[in-house]
Amino acid sequence: MVTKTETASPATPPRAGLTYRPNVDVRDRGTEVVLVADMPGANAATIDVTFEDGVLSLHGAVAPRASTARVIRQEYGIGDYRRSLRLGDGFDGARIDADYRQGVLTIRVPRLAAVLPRKVEVRAG
Amino acid sequence: MPAYRTGFALPLDELRDEIDRLWTTLVTAPPLHGWGPRSEESVFPAVNLRETDEAFTVEAELPGISVNDVDISVSGDSLVLKGARRAVDTAADCAAAGEADRPVEAPAGEKVVWLLRERGSGAFERRLKLPVAVDSLRVEARLVDGVLTVVCPKLAACQPRKVEVRGG
Repeated sequence: MVTKTETASPATPPRAGLTYRPNVDVRDRGTEVVLVADMPGANAATIDVTFEDGVLSLHGAVAPRASTARVIRQEYGIGDYRRSLRLGDGFDGARIDADYRQGVLTIRVPRLAAVLPRKVEVRAG
Repeated sequence: MPAYRTGFALPLDELRDEIDRLWTTLVTAPPLHGWGPRSEESVFPAVNLRETDEAFTVEAELPGISVNDVDISVSGDSLVLKGARRAVDTAADCAAAGEADRPVEAPAGEKVVWLLRERGSGAFERRLKLPVAVDSLRVEARLVDGVLTVVCPKLAACQPRKVEVRGG
């Protein structure tokens, strides 16, 4: 259903360990674009969302799980999440809203009022 | 004393036997990881399994799945993880999936405009066989930040025990 994708480490990794590319859904609601990313095991306090030059970047730091138990089976890896998506121009970076619950990050990027369709009223002379 | 056939047909017979053997292995073995049309669903969720002397810990990533949508059952050495992630196809679904705090602008039933869709949805079932039987009465599960952790204590009889040697 959902698979975790490993990505190449960025040029300057914040620390040793693998980085994963979260699966995302992006939908257009007209006045805003909503991005939903699967980031299980992350923490709201350590998730960074930035919007610069039309590119939305998200990074979630995930602490390695300390355990002395023997590993019998390892089907998925644990590490930071990182992903960047180009949304383009016309968005209001100052009003971006992000919410993390149940391991899912939801980001709302509103469009600038100036780019929204607007009905122009015709005044009578 | 085994009987050997002679003649040039021998290498071909060997080849045929080899192919038969290979074919039997392929059709009777469980599908390989990532092989088959529904492979992604059949291996969801991926699990990590750890062991201590007292217990097994199974971890699985279930983002966006609420506690009420997960069903875990244990019997002997088998652990079954079942559940579902609801599909989000309409604006009303989006509202139900945690956006209730926001007004839904689109009328209910209107299709959502997707720019990118990578997150799957639907039902899943994963059956795991643990190395030894566990104490089903003491199995505990937690779902925090989309990570399911199931701790399965081993039965006392299956735990390692130091045997004292008595002097004669």
